[in-house]
Amino acid sequence: MSIDEPSLARLMTASQRGDRAAYRALLNDSRRWLTRYFARRIAPHQIDDLVQETLVSMHRKLATWDNSRPFLPWLAAIARYRWIDMLRRQRNEVELGEGDAAVGAEDEVVHARLSLDRMLTLLPAGQAQAITLVKIEGASIAEASQICGQSESLVKVNIHRGLKKLAQLIESE
Amino acid sequence: MTDAAIDTLIDDLAGELEPVRPRRVARGSLWVAGGWLAGAGLLLWLTGMRHDLADGTMMPPLPLLAFWLIVALGFAAAWSALRMGLPGVGRDYSGWRWAGLAALALPFSALVMGLGDSHAAMEAARPENGLRCMVEGVLAGLGVGAALFAWLKGGAPTSPTRAGWVIGIAAGAAGATIVALHCASNDMIHIALWHGLAVVLSGVAGRLLLAPLLRW
Repeated sequence: MSIDEPSLARLMTASQRGDRAAYRALLNDSRRWLTRYFARRIAPHQIDDLVQETLVSMHRKLATWDNSRPFLPWLAAIARYRWIDMLRRQRNEVELGEGDAAVGAEDEVVHARLSLDRMLTLLPAGQAQAITLVKIEGASIAEASQICGQSESLVKVNIHRGLKKLAQLIESE
Repeated sequence: MTDAAIDTLIDDLAGELEPVRPRRVARGSLWVAGGWLAGAGLLLWLTGMRHDLADGTMMPPLPLLAFWLIVALGFAAAWSALRMGLPGVGRDYSGWRWAGLAALALPFSALVMGLGDSHAAMEAARPENGLRCMVEGVLAGLGVGAALFAWLKGGAPTSPTRAGWVIGIAAGAAGATIVALHCASNDMIHIALWHGLAVVLSGVAGRLLLAPLLRW
């Protein structure tokens, strides 16, 4: 089933009136849309968590959708907010994943790379390389250090600074 | 997190759905208007209206121009803040920046006038000649600030930092317009410095105090 804007807007209108069946359908469609959205932006092991967080935010902010406007830009704004929030948390926690190389379908990989590549070109080369190796390709800090020739502490600093800059760039888009 | 966990979450969210009343910018505008009227009513009740206005006379041209520039900044900032509560990728919230740029004409004009008459500028800059206006401006804008904060707290501002700035600037500009109805000075340096400082201080306060509270 394709996710089309008019159907989503109708489901959302019904949801705001309290129609639980429509809301369940809307949440399922939104979940699929969000999974694709985040697949282009974050490491695979983080997608489900971020989809969940976004669905909860969507639920809490249901009243902020204006039915004279399209639904998907509203959902995308909430998803982007949660994404930035996650980047900020990562920056603070330096939460590092392992084994993230596998990404879904081939076209998703291409889209993901296109989107991320565009964002990463806006960062200094050292920061972009550290983020690519650790956050996208799933290398450990030690592996990334060996590959890019940066010390381990510099890799961490570059990730921290790069994610901060990335969050600012996304927010200003 | 597994697919089953998300299925369960969706079931839970759907199960607890209640009807919601969509938020409308028009309703938020009424809150802001109420905040402005409350601030104006309170300040003018406590301190009185400037004599020329009370007598039905117009302000001199330059203070009048300054008044309307600050009104425009307040309107633009309040409108941007209200729109920030209803998110959407691609929506433009930057209208207040143009009004802010236009309002910079005030300090620039004051600077030029101050360079021409430095004694008068020094006199206008003395705290005893304007600090009270600044404090009153900040306080008079609290009604608008509270209304916008309440609106955005219930909304979904996707950049709390920017929202904090804009709430503060809108509140400060609202306060400055209220003070302009009370303050008898027609000196552009006084208006640009002390009334303008109310806007700047409110903006900084909004950024520092409100932004962290607007995260969701």
